[in-house]
Amino acid sequence: MRARLAIPILAALLALAFLASLAFGELRLSFGQVVSALVGGGDDIARTVVRDFRLPRALVGMAAGAALGASGVVMQAFFRNPLASPGLLGVSSGGALGAVAVLAMGPMLGFASATLWALPVASVLGAFGATGAVLMLAQRGAGTERLLLSGVALNALLGAGTSFLLTTTAGHFEVNAQILFWLMGGLESRSWEHVWMGVPAILLGCFLLLPLGRAMDLLSLGEQSAQSLGVDVRRLRRQLIVLSTVLTALATAVGGIIGFVGLVVPHILRLAFGPAHRRLLPHSMLGGAAFLLACDLVTRTFPIGLRLGVVTALVGGPFFLWLLRRPR
Amino acid sequence: MTLPALHAAGLSVSGRLEAVSLDLGPGELVAMVGPNGAGKSTLIQAMAGLLPAHGAIQWNGQSLSHIPAAERGRRLAWVGQEAHFEFAFPVREVVAQGRYAWGDDPTGVAEALAELDLTFLADRPATRLSGGERHRVALARALATQAPIQLWDEPVAQLDVRHALEVMRLARRLADGGGTVVVSLHDLRAAYRFDRVLVLDRGRLVGNGGPHEVLTADLIRQVFRVEATFVESLVPELPPV
Repeated sequence: MRARLAIPILAALLALAFLASLAFGELRLSFGQVVSALVGGGDDIARTVVRDFRLPRALVGMAAGAALGASGVVMQAFFRNPLASPGLLGVSSGGALGAVAVLAMGPMLGFASATLWALPVASVLGAFGATGAVLMLAQRGAGTERLLLSGVALNALLGAGTSFLLTTTAGHFEVNAQILFWLMGGLESRSWEHVWMGVPAILLGCFLLLPLGRAMDLLSLGEQSAQSLGVDVRRLRRQLIVLSTVLTALATAVGGIIGFVGLVVPHILRLAFGPAHRRLLPHSMLGGAAFLLACDLVTRTFPIGLRLGVVTALVGGPFFLWLLRRPR
Repeated sequence: MTLPALHAAGLSVSGRLEAVSLDLGPGELVAMVGPNGAGKSTLIQAMAGLLPAHGAIQWNGQSLSHIPAAERGRRLAWVGQEAHFEFAFPVREVVAQGRYAWGDDPTGVAEALAELDLTFLADRPATRLSGGERHRVALARALATQAPIQLWDEPVAQLDVRHALEVMRLARRLADGGGTVVVSLHDLRAAYRFDRVLVLDRGRLVGNGGPHEVLTADLIRQVFRVEATFVESLVPELPPV
């Protein structure tokens, strides 16, 4: 019963967050002004602000949130562990290292203009490197300790690589600032180029994930039992790992490291509307998108230098600690 | 001549199972016994196609590698020794997963719940069950597949006496209906009531036949290193229906 209300509720929250993202900021607009700017009316300034600045930012934020929410769900089913998520396992860090490597080396190699395409590619490669390492370190069905410790080690290692690149580019302030941007995550100055770079591929990835929900139900309760019940487990695992890694990498490429979305959002939605993946996947995509836009609104409402990754961590960190303390 | 429901030839899993060959027919109720580490779970998983193994496996005369995943789910059901559920699916939904290979057609789910005495727990999250209850959920899920071959790895180890007897009666009924049911267990007295007994010792099949010819005092001494005597004793039974 309650599950049937989930999609309307989450869609309404997302619509609200989306409209608020277009309306709030240095220039405060009414919802009426936003709508007329969207359809091409209103004054020039409002139209420029909404269409050229806030709309791409909101679209990128929604896509990144949906991607992180979905890949959190996938990793939890894959590792049969509700604490698995892209940030904790180091997949986000891998993607960030890839992106930072392009940013740091780009100017030296002379393809600065191509970075918009090199970035997501490098991010995907970095994320796959991290995923491969996690798969080796923590075998399937790994216990919580082993999984989290592997993540800690991997995050430290990848972070060290990123720090190294940061110091080697210390003289280049612009590059340095860009790298810091990636490390803390953010949606500032996202343009339509970022939209094209990430959003269509993220939509495609989400679309491809949806039909796997039923088989994920079985996988999440045991690999061998899933296989005995008729799931082609090897194929499913391959599909899931590729899709979740690519989704995390794309989210990182357009928004930097944004932690805890893939942990917090599926968890709350599982408690509220049940664990069945056919519903949990779309719920987490909508919920992740709304959550990320809401966090982005916080960074804009309190202009004291709060970064998006900082806000999601402020929400997610305590939540994670509470989960760890909860009796299982 | 009817084809064996389960056929294994030279089945080996490195370090755990050595060249096991056997044929089990339809309608057979088979007990598998052996000390800890003898390879019971390994043999069951290998026959179910859940472990990479050397040797040949056939289900109803068809080589396992030629049977697609979904078809396997309709032909053979497996219940593992451990039943852990990490996510809070209601019991009814866990049991309904047995219908995955049938396109989630819900036939038989309610009956499977009733058969394992789970109807009153149907809406309880599977994460909030006792060990014995979890095993009954896993058994109900296997039953819901309506697969003619059922392989159950120590299904009664954690069950109370009444539910254990009910599971044994269910196994007998499935076999009487033409199914092939393999049950691994530690209770040699219970094994005596099966049509056939397989004895495993250090990865080898050392006994395969009717319980009276296989479970001799000599073999029990050799495999289990205990003395077996045959005496009258207390036998709990389900009341007649």
